[in-house]
Amino acid sequence: MLEEDTRKLSMADGESSREATARTLRNAFGNVFSFFILLLIGILAFSIRLFSVIKYESVIHEFDPYFNYRVTQFLTKNGIYDFWNWFDDRTWYPLGRVIGGTVYPGLTLTAGTLWWLLNSLNIPLSVETVCVFTAPIFSAFASWATYLLTKEVKGTGAGLTAAVLLAMVPSYISRSVAGSYDNEAVAIFALIFTFYLYIKTLNTGSLFYATLNALAYFYMVCSWGGYTFIINLIPMHVLLCIVTGRYSSRLYIAYAPLVVLGTLLAALVPVVGFNAVMTSEHFASFLVFIIIHVVALVYHVKGNLSPRMFKVAVTLVVSVGLVVCCAMIAVLIALVASSPTKGWSGRSLSLLDPTYASKYIPIIASVSEHQPPTWPSYFMDINVLAFLVPAGIIACFLPLSDASSFVVLYIVTAVYFSGVMVRLMLVFAPAACIMSGIALSEAFNVLTRSIKFQLPGSSGISQSGDTSMNTEGEQNDIAKTEKMDETAKERPSKKNKRKEKEPVVKASIRSRIERRLLVLPLEASVIAIILLVLLGAFYVVHCVWAAAEAYSAPSIVLTTYSREGGLHVFDDFREAYAWLSHNTEVDDKVASWWDYGYQTTAMANRTVIVDNNTWNNTHIATVGTAMSSPEKAAWEIFNSLDVKYVLVVFGGLVGYPSDDINKFLWMVRIGGGVFPHIKEPDYLRDGQYRIDSQATPTMLNCLMYKLSYYRFVETDGKAFDRVRQTEIGKKYFKLTHFEEVFTTHHWMVRIYKLKPPKNRIRGKTKKSKSKASSTSSPKRSGTGKRNPWH
Amino acid sequence: MAISPTLLLSLLLFTTFLSVSLHHSTADPDSDSDSESSDLVTELLYLQSQSKSGVIHLNDHIVSRFLTSTKTPRPYSLLIFFDAKHLHSKTELHLQDLHTEFSLLASSFISNNDASSASSLFFCDIEFKESQNSFSLFGVNSLPHIRLVGPNVKNPKDSEQMDQGDFSRMAESMAEFVESRTKLTVGPINRPPMLSTNQIAFLGVILLIWAFFFIKKLLTKDTFLHDWKLWLLGAVFVYFFSVSGAMFNIIRKMPMFLVDRNDPNKLVFFYQGSGMQLGAEGFAVGSLYTIVGLLLGVVTHVLVRVKNRTAQRVVMGVALVISFWAVRKVVHLDNWKTGYGVHAFWPTSWS
Repeated sequence: MLEEDTRKLSMADGESSREATARTLRNAFGNVFSFFILLLIGILAFSIRLFSVIKYESVIHEFDPYFNYRVTQFLTKNGIYDFWNWFDDRTWYPLGRVIGGTVYPGLTLTAGTLWWLLNSLNIPLSVETVCVFTAPIFSAFASWATYLLTKEVKGTGAGLTAAVLLAMVPSYISRSVAGSYDNEAVAIFALIFTFYLYIKTLNTGSLFYATLNALAYFYMVCSWGGYTFIINLIPMHVLLCIVTGRYSSRLYIAYAPLVVLGTLLAALVPVVGFNAVMTSEHFASFLVFIIIHVVALVYHVKGNLSPRMFKVAVTLVVSVGLVVCCAMIAVLIALVASSPTKGWSGRSLSLLDPTYASKYIPIIASVSEHQPPTWPSYFMDINVLAFLVPAGIIACFLPLSDASSFVVLYIVTAVYFSGVMVRLMLVFAPAACIMSGIALSEAFNVLTRSIKFQLPGSSGISQSGDTSMNTEGEQNDIAKTEKMDETAKERPSKKNKRKEKEPVVKASIRSRIERRLLVLPLEASVIAIILLVLLGAFYVVHCVWAAAEAYSAPSIVLTTYSREGGLHVFDDFREAYAWLSHNTEVDDKVASWWDYGYQTTAMANRTVIVDNNTWNNTHIATVGTAMSSPEKAAWEIFNSLDVKYVLVVFGGLVGYPSDDINKFLWMVRIGGGVFPHIKEPDYLRDGQYRIDSQATPTMLNCLMYKLSYYRFVETDGKAFDRVRQTEIGKKYFKLTHFEEVFTTHHWMVRIYKLKPPKNRIRGKTKKSKSKASSTSSPKRSGTGKRNPWH
Repeated sequence: MAISPTLLLSLLLFTTFLSVSLHHSTADPDSDSDSESSDLVTELLYLQSQSKSGVIHLNDHIVSRFLTSTKTPRPYSLLIFFDAKHLHSKTELHLQDLHTEFSLLASSFISNNDASSASSLFFCDIEFKESQNSFSLFGVNSLPHIRLVGPNVKNPKDSEQMDQGDFSRMAESMAEFVESRTKLTVGPINRPPMLSTNQIAFLGVILLIWAFFFIKKLLTKDTFLHDWKLWLLGAVFVYFFSVSGAMFNIIRKMPMFLVDRNDPNKLVFFYQGSGMQLGAEGFAVGSLYTIVGLLLGVVTHVLVRVKNRTAQRVVMGVALVISFWAVRKVVHLDNWKTGYGVHAFWPTSWS
């Protein structure tokens, strides 16, 4: 009897152990499989961003990345301490700029560390190469972080789907192609990773993850000004949890350390400093910090008192607490209201009140990144994900957990902000990927199940077997989470939990009964799967197209296709910067409009007067005034700033529309804002900006016109401007105070030298001038040969 | 308080009478015109005090009294707002909005300036039906119209007209116009707060009392905040609102549709060009975006629980057809609107 019993027991043991091994094997297989999928996703994220390198070359893009590149160079050469104390005298001459205290150092430090690591492994990559590939590498990291985050919310399948969607979402590609070395490149990874760690802490209640979360937040603060989104979103979620009765000790552990450690760490970043406690963007987190402590106290007291005693205590505390609260809020409001902008920066205000910027801050409203997007922008930037997001939202509500409520809150706030500013589409894109990943994964789950269990070949046994396995797995999961809950939850809340647990178990039983019925008709499921796959395929096609065609141009090298299909490359910018670096003295000052400041310092290594960090309006206005003054006055202004060379960008010959003549009205406006003798109407004929024969005399005599169109008539004999589509107004004129020293191949950049102050020996200068003009004559063969830096 | 204007008036009239009689007795021509003009100013000041906002309501008689029949230079300028009651219904003219802005400007000017400089500029409005002669006198035939009659203007038609651009940005830009033409300072515009202090206090008290009950309810966990369906609805609505580009419509004040220029009977709902969109267009595409996701969500989470096979089949069929159509429609519209040629990169040997 006893023997039989033991045998039975052992048999049952054996069976269960066999089942267990089968399950572990399947789990292990699944883990390895998803590991390889993740690896492939990383490779996909990296390689889809290489179009810019393949189509153009490995080069840093646009304007701001050049500054970041230069800072990184400095860091790798001089080390972190010198970087921290770096006073840059090559820019904003004669003021200079404190770089260490005015940049977000995250990107620079990341790329610098990467470079140092590679070099210590004896992989001799140049700083430039590391900078070019930082963004693609971090996109791979970002898609892995998305996997982790979505896995915490809805499981592995959703995680993998979300990761693959994020790897190629166009909105993110636009900011992270190879060469686009800007803050957002690393910041999006930091953003997602911070959210992941927050959710992880919320699910586990572990202090270890809470600490990591604060560190990730620190990295985000180092990287991008967008960190304020995190420090407002997480408090919002905490408040939401409290209000909807989801408070738990896990929530406390996830939030309190983040605020304390995170704020302390954020204050360490020089560019943030005391802003971390002084500006209104951070006040929400402190307010919620107070609230969560009050709530924690209430829960604690509630656990220790009998219900009746608790009621008495509540009425007592609420009435006293409310008075105290009101007093504090009044003080806070008074504090905030005493500052002119109510403690909020203009950009944040324009997020809360979308019409604010257009009414009061034209500078913010004028930037194209800050415009509200139209519906095609969504289709361009997240493509078919726009269709899937609502399904993801529904899935997150069935059932609603702490984690899924967080992603819902994330997508709602992000989609609202993206509606106000097209730039914030970048923050919205990861949320859209997560939601769409969840939606797609749930849909595939249901549809494939419907096919699997209803295929004509499949027998009932396998069906029941599978379902039982499924439910078993589910039950296991539930048991696991419960155990987790139990360990995590404090004793006081246990009482409540007991009550909660029973319905959960009941629900699982019910789901086991129902699961057998949870299928859709076979043929409809097949069609639906085909359509979903087609939708996915369309997404892939769109993303590859966007990466290859729309977002890969580096804007420092331009290309056009000729009618015969040949490729024509315009490399004038680098030609000009190289000329500057080879033919001018190291300490010469070069004046240009601020757009080209970063590039000039980074590529030509010459001192500039103004650059893209537009911190000093007066200085910019001075340059604007010089450009809009007649030659003599301009010469005096430039000479007083020790300027040796003036650089203008001119697109009239090849039809490059974003040249200085098209930006000229902004120079007049900004100059006129500080120096009232520059008046915009003087440059306009009947309110119209024109450079043809109808142009005003002021326009035709200003420095910008002269430097742009000097000798332009020699190119085609008619002086036809291809950007403005007209013949210019004044064709033949001479320069008295400036001399042309270099004009690039396509005339896109023209460099002039200020003539020496005392201009007595006329004959000599004339001779040298004629020589100079022959050097840069439109005959290209001549330019090629005489090019002084060949 | 109510007596003071009348009291003031009688005092004013009395002093005026006195001064007039005095001046008449001295019979000096120069001081005569002086007194006459100071007369006019006091009268204007009286008229100004009569109106709540400080805007003097003109009619043909007053216009002739203060403008056409006076000698130049007058000691005051007049800023005249031309109004027409029967056009108030035409919202695109914004006559009422502009009039309130104009009154704001007037009251701010009066409160920001002391008596001496406040008496050199007066704000007036004039109504078309009442004073058609004055309209023709000024040669005004389109509204909105604001005119500044300077001290030296003899013929009303020579007075300066405020440009469209000057009143487009409301009272602030009108103030700039006034400041640039008259060498007077208007000072900051005092907009009345949305709620008076009493109202704010009242609302505060109500909020406080409500908060008591709300917190009590919150502890029992049965408020609308605990209803997840409401949250779901809100989330989907915010999503729909944003992806339809409604924020763009609000910020740029885009109309819902345009009237076709070539054919006035036709309405244009879709605008070609990616930088702009019309209101109706955004909402149409926004709902297409949203409906597909909602259908997918319903199919995967609600429909699977339905036991009736036929119902499942029918609903799924409808959902698939609608989704397919919506996606196709959006792709088609996007290609038409932006003009991008999205294409795949197939190997060249395939074609």
